[in-house]
Amino acid sequence: MKDHTPNYSSQHSIPLNKDIKKLYVVTGKGGVGKTTLSMALTKYLAENERKVLYISFDQPLNEALCQQLNIPFTDLTIHRSAELYIGKKLNSSVVASWVMKTPFFLSLFNMIPGLGHMIYLGHIINKLEKDPNLSIILDSPSSGHALTMFESSFNFKEMFGEGVLVKDIVGMHNFLQKKNALKVLVSCLPTAMAIHEGQELKTSLHKYAIADIQIMVNDAFLKTPHLSEAVLPEFLQKKIDLEKEILNENESSIQFVFPHLLTLEKQIIIQTLSTQMGALI
Amino acid sequence: MSSIPAKKIELFCGTGGVGKTTLSASRALYLASQDKKVLLITIDPARRLKEILNLQEENSGNIETIPSSFFTGFADDKEFSFDALLMSPAKTLARMGERHDTTQGFDNPIIKILTRPHGGMNEILAIIEVQQQLQENIYDCIILDTPPGKHFIDFLQGTEKIRQFFDKSFIDIFKFLGKPVKQEQTSRGFLSLLIKSGVKKLLSFLEKVTGKNFVDSFIDAIIALYNNKDSFLTAISFQNQLKEKTFSNWFLVTSVEQQKTGEAEDMQKTASRLMHDDNFMAINKSLSPYLKSWNTDHATPFLKELKTSMLSREAILLEYAKNNFENTIDFPEILDNSPGVHVVELAKRWSQLNDQQ
Repeated sequence: MKDHTPNYSSQHSIPLNKDIKKLYVVTGKGGVGKTTLSMALTKYLAENERKVLYISFDQPLNEALCQQLNIPFTDLTIHRSAELYIGKKLNSSVVASWVMKTPFFLSLFNMIPGLGHMIYLGHIINKLEKDPNLSIILDSPSSGHALTMFESSFNFKEMFGEGVLVKDIVGMHNFLQKKNALKVLVSCLPTAMAIHEGQELKTSLHKYAIADIQIMVNDAFLKTPHLSEAVLPEFLQKKIDLEKEILNENESSIQFVFPHLLTLEKQIIIQTLSTQMGALI
Repeated sequence: MSSIPAKKIELFCGTGGVGKTTLSASRALYLASQDKKVLLITIDPARRLKEILNLQEENSGNIETIPSSFFTGFADDKEFSFDALLMSPAKTLARMGERHDTTQGFDNPIIKILTRPHGGMNEILAIIEVQQQLQENIYDCIILDTPPGKHFIDFLQGTEKIRQFFDKSFIDIFKFLGKPVKQEQTSRGFLSLLIKSGVKKLLSFLEKVTGKNFVDSFIDAIIALYNNKDSFLTAISFQNQLKEKTFSNWFLVTSVEQQKTGEAEDMQKTASRLMHDDNFMAINKSLSPYLKSWNTDHATPFLKELKTSMLSREAILLEYAKNNFENTIDFPEILDNSPGVHVVELAKRWSQLNDQQ
């Protein structure tokens, strides 16, 4: 596991004159462009001379795309995180690797996905604590499962009761509740159901004292450059009117709207969106 | 395109946000209108079904009946209904306990916490729920709205996880630890199993790093689950049945706005070991019918480019579907913000697809 950090020539970059968060968790329904937005945000911060890493939780990492776009990334798997954590607790990586291979532990680990999620989040926090200059952008699972990731640490704290593991969990929570530690970015398509899901996630996360949550809408035709000036066919006009209606109804909870872009090239989309990421910091 | 006969299990999977939940609700409405007794189960913890059918969160885990009068504009001349269930891991487990008179063991702090709605046990217990419903045999069709992306694979692999978990060696270990278990079993080579499984070492490790009550509760939890081993293991037969064409319909749902053919391909690849090949690619929110009737002969270059871009999105997806799936069905985008209207319009499309043959 090696961090891939390309060198940026500072020539063109605008120094970002703002505190950034330690951890950005990008979530939302599937297929709303979580990966695109996470990569665009990482790219934006890297170009502004911030030390950042992109981590993909839910999907296999698209290493080629990261490299093409000069996006610093690191590859982290749940299994590897667990092995490292157990190794640390037992003071032996050999024993940890053995524990991970025992049928009982492995089957238990597979049966209770929340355990792996919690250790993974812990691993990321640990990485951030070690390096005060580092920020991480976590391309996280879709909303229901992102909630499981946060909730698990509280569930396990309750189950374990006391001991070293509980101390570690409390440490995680303390970190997340620090000022400027965590921001959750919830991405939604411009539909009623997607936005309601985002709002519900926000309410649920508030229960865990996670306060800094921003809902953004992605892939909106009404923001597509030049579209509003054109005379559109009826169906497209209707589509845009429906988007407007939804955005108006939910105006108070939506912080930013990203456009639907005509191109199919992922690289160009990420490149284009990265210039607008200042709004999400 | 042949018609789409109703099967015992109708499975909707796909990346998130493509309209799986809405499409499965429309399938339920359509099949119910064809006099089928239908149960719609949503496994997705995002629970959009709540919003579509106006269900209450407090009622999750209980089967609710949705009368056809809830929707207007589809088969209004008939009276029918379908049942819907928001998956609740705790309720599923409780029902299992009641059937086998093993409820007591489930009154365990660890089990209670893990079976909370977002405790992470949704996928595995959903398999148990479906299996229980199949055994009770009340329904002609059980429609499954599955979790998005890789969590669908988690659902499919659930039986494999269950099988591993109930490896018969565990029971011996707990006997060794002096805990009573319901089913008596003796074994040969016990000591080697104990060492191989790593349970004893794991427990002594746990004792060091957690509270004193945890290890006790933990052992009790495992025993409680073990005492329901048979119910868990019968769920494996459900997985085997999924491979039979006569038993299940598989709909992989995708939508044009996402261009997620890569992810769909991964899902299909993993699922192909567990499913039969007579499957459907359902392209949702298709704009093709609108685009085809859009005349850009006298439009600006920008609008021409827009149309080309939108058409090529549709074409790429269709090409992918045709190359990878036995059957492709499409559902035009519905230009309305009300979920109820979506369900009704999609139900009409199911009816149309059936009449085509």
